[in-house]
Amino acid sequence: MAQNDTLVKGWQPVIGLEVHVQLLTNTKLFSPARNNFGEDANTLVDLIDMGLPGVLPVMNEEAMRQGIKFGLATSAKIAKTMIFDRKNYFYPDLPKGYQITQLHFPIVRDGIVDVDGKKIRIHQAHLEEDAGKSMHDQYDSKSTIDLNRSGVPLLEIVSEPDIRSAAEAVNYLKKIHQIITYLDISDGNMSQGSMRCDANVSIMRPDSKEFGTRAEIKNINSFKFVEKAINFEVKRQIKCLEGGETVEQETRLYDSTKDETRSMRTKEFANDYRYFPCPDLVPINISSELIKDISNNMDELPEEKEQRFRKVYKLDDYEAKVICAERQTANFFEEVSKNCDPKLSAKWIIGEVNALLNKNNISLGNSKITPDNFSSLMAKINDGTISGKIAKEVLEEIWSTGKNAEKIIKSKGLEQISDEAELESITQSVLDNNSRQVEAYKSGKDKLFGFFVGQVMKETQGKANPKSINEILKRLLSG
Amino acid sequence: MDKIELKNLLFLAKIGIADKEHPKIIEKLTNTFDLIDEMNELDLDKVQPLNNPLELNNVSRKDSDNDRNAKKDFLENSPESDEDYFIVPKIIE
Amino acid sequence: MNFKTQREKFRSKSISAKEAVQETIKRAKTDKLNIFINCFESEALSKAEHIDNNFAKFKDQPLSGVPIAHKDIFCTKDLITTCGSRMLKDFKPPYDSTVIDNCNNAGSIMIAKTNMDEFAMGSSNETSFFGPVSNPWSENLVPGGSSGGSAACVAADITCISTGTDTGGSIRQPAALCGITGMKPTYGLVSRWGMIAFCSSMDQAGPFSKDAFGCAALLDAMASYDLKDSTCSKRKKICYEKSLNDNLGNLKIGVIKNIEDLGIHKNILNSYETSKTVLQGLGHELKEIDFSELSSGICSYYVIAPAECSSNLSRFDGVKFGHRSAKQKDISELYMQTRSEGFGDEVKKRILIGTHVLSAGFYDAYYLKAQKVRRNIKNKFEEIFKDVDLIFMPTTLDQAFEKNRESSDPNRMYKEDLLTIPANLAGLPAISFPNGLKNNLPTGGQLVGNYFSESLLLNITNKIQEVTDWHKMTP
Repeated sequence: MAQNDTLVKGWQPVIGLEVHVQLLTNTKLFSPARNNFGEDANTLVDLIDMGLPGVLPVMNEEAMRQGIKFGLATSAKIAKTMIFDRKNYFYPDLPKGYQITQLHFPIVRDGIVDVDGKKIRIHQAHLEEDAGKSMHDQYDSKSTIDLNRSGVPLLEIVSEPDIRSAAEAVNYLKKIHQIITYLDISDGNMSQGSMRCDANVSIMRPDSKEFGTRAEIKNINSFKFVEKAINFEVKRQIKCLEGGETVEQETRLYDSTKDETRSMRTKEFANDYRYFPCPDLVPINISSELIKDISNNMDELPEEKEQRFRKVYKLDDYEAKVICAERQTANFFEEVSKNCDPKLSAKWIIGEVNALLNKNNISLGNSKITPDNFSSLMAKINDGTISGKIAKEVLEEIWSTGKNAEKIIKSKGLEQISDEAELESITQSVLDNNSRQVEAYKSGKDKLFGFFVGQVMKETQGKANPKSINEILKRLLSG
Repeated sequence: MDKIELKNLLFLAKIGIADKEHPKIIEKLTNTFDLIDEMNELDLDKVQPLNNPLELNNVSRKDSDNDRNAKKDFLENSPESDEDYFIVPKIIE
Repeated sequence: MNFKTQREKFRSKSISAKEAVQETIKRAKTDKLNIFINCFESEALSKAEHIDNNFAKFKDQPLSGVPIAHKDIFCTKDLITTCGSRMLKDFKPPYDSTVIDNCNNAGSIMIAKTNMDEFAMGSSNETSFFGPVSNPWSENLVPGGSSGGSAACVAADITCISTGTDTGGSIRQPAALCGITGMKPTYGLVSRWGMIAFCSSMDQAGPFSKDAFGCAALLDAMASYDLKDSTCSKRKKICYEKSLNDNLGNLKIGVIKNIEDLGIHKNILNSYETSKTVLQGLGHELKEIDFSELSSGICSYYVIAPAECSSNLSRFDGVKFGHRSAKQKDISELYMQTRSEGFGDEVKKRILIGTHVLSAGFYDAYYLKAQKVRRNIKNKFEEIFKDVDLIFMPTTLDQAFEKNRESSDPNRMYKEDLLTIPANLAGLPAISFPNGLKNNLPTGGQLVGNYFSESLLLNITNKIQEVTDWHKMTP
């Protein structure tokens, strides 16, 4: 088989991911409290989120619509009837002592995600409520509870164990991220916890027909950590098995500071969640009309956008893929292309803009680059006002100030000198001041041509139009 | 129903009952299950379970907010809190 | 004083709401039966003044100017709501239940919250943390449960109406044992928002009064479609009080075949036979029905109700509200001790049963099977209602019994719910009304109707009460 490049020391990792995605609704899944991140503790808590005696949940239909969108985007089966269940366990940030989720009748089943040409199957995606947050650093012997997150709608996306390496897991996760942000059903922000990942990891010999015992790794909150946690866990399991031990079916926690997974304290008894249908909620039938309506109003998916960009903006495969990797970037590109040459914009976005974003590790939306100031820069390149080199300088200024390119060019006097007479006089004086080199050139040292170009550039602080210099130099030197 | 099972139930239900009380509890539970077990004589293979008597469907709400937050009351009426949080003994993971 | 007289006195301005409240509170203060958990005198007086000051607005409301007592299971904003439990001994809900809201808007004035079995689990009111309630007919006897306080309150003539909840008979059985009228409406007719849940798929709130008239008026106030309860049924509003005047025509009423085989006491059977004659006298036709599935209802009920309650009561963990144990060296001890101290024995027992029937390996054998029995019972009712308009049966197997009753059968108390449970499993409406006096104690008869046939049930009960006097008996 061709997948042997995924083997680690002769072992085949087998990975399934459970991705929790916080949905972008106005309100919570079962309560009318606002769904938002980063507000003061316990201010987004409704009676229902407190789990007060006598309160009852009512389902938010927008959460359902968003779940259906995900199903449609992954060519999945949308449930004809979905049913909410209770998952019973005690934890201080779980106010009711149970979580409302979907076990047997999830909203979405049997989806497919294409990850670099490989189909990874989605077992199911179900709606459930998030828990609150418990924190342990404020008091020595106490923990504190914030219920703002309690009841926030989650879509839990459960893959089949189709993933074979840590790198593939990351790519799968990136693909999920791309889909949910394209659908605008989540902001996918892993650092704020709006996208979280648990990984089921096992190993087996490549010729084995049965999977090994899996460990579930919890609490992985960045793309980087997904890779690290899985790599660590695979190595740990190999060590286990090769040392004659067995891998235990257990839940492990990834500790990013120590870069290791460790067993969560095993309790005296195994937990038993005692799922049963939530008697406070009724089954929800999803009609084909509703699905059609959602489908008709759904935003363009990455592949569709790439295809359109290739056709409309004449991007090549690579450009289209990179520009469409993130919805934000694609929208930016499209906005800019209203006024500018798309190929030029694409080149600059893929090259210089992405380099700046990566270097500073922020997203386009959070940077000072806007379609407006970026367009102004493209226009100045296009009409020859500035050279590519100067343009980089201007882009950096835009990055740090957010100013318009024209303003920057004016205030810094960066316009390209294209005036033939002026350039000729500058060039002549450069030649006059370097008569030795001129002689050497004329006696056959062709390489010195570059030296003269450099000198003219130096004199003009790089503003000279390189094409004009070439012509003028050639003329003057041959004279 | 033996003692181990009761201990498991007590663990799951988070109810503390002293060991010496266990035989009495087990007896009570066993009696109730004797009553429940009469159900086993029924032939139910072809019957669909019924979760909710009216079998309603499709009840949902619009995604619009309604602020019923009462942070101060919620916290003050809780067994232990500070100005911002509910407080419990330290949770050790 | 019956409800109609009480309300008429207010409407005709012969007494003010404030005077009605003062008189009621005077009676409540002499209570020796332990009917109330908390009284709210000053709140009641100021509410009464508000109603008096807005006479025109409240005059035509269904409960205008009438003092009422509510079962302590309905959340009342900023007023202690205990559910009969130590767990909620000092709990002040930050909101009103829909039932309380509706009753307030209908012009009634709450004077107190009534005693009840802890979290509504019990049939004798002996599981209350606040002590048992005595039966107004005899202090040694129980009033029934779980809405024992509410039933006793009306039977003892303290208020003329009160609210209750019925999960397996908790309105009808105490109504029968106290000699008053009480109704469990169709599941979903009255909103459960703010009613502390015991078994969510069966709990239903309903009215108590001496007679069908009072129950009709109170149900007019209580019933409403509520967007806050997903299991609430959207229906055209009916005025039950008005429909009491409808002509019933001749109905077909199902009566239980071989009822003597069910282990029912002869006093109850005597009253039952008498009531049958009354029904026939009103022009209705009796038809024997076979209801041998009745008894499987108990098995099903004692699986489903504990299962749901084990989950519903998980929120009482000492973290956000209610009791918290002083013993809390870690979170596990906090849970264990809080729940051990906060819950009484019967509640703990049902939580453990519920935990067991839902746990891995037992779900199919118990929970799923019980839900199938439930379907059977519903199907059986549907079949019966093809032939008859109503079903008539006794409410209880026996009359009020002694407190701390000893029995050789440990399951006796549960088995006594035989005749009330089926209506809960199927979600059907049922009414219990006084139908006799034996050994100076009341007996109760029960009518079960098809879904949303409340007006029919109230109407026929009213017609019975027009020609009989059992509802006028007082202790």
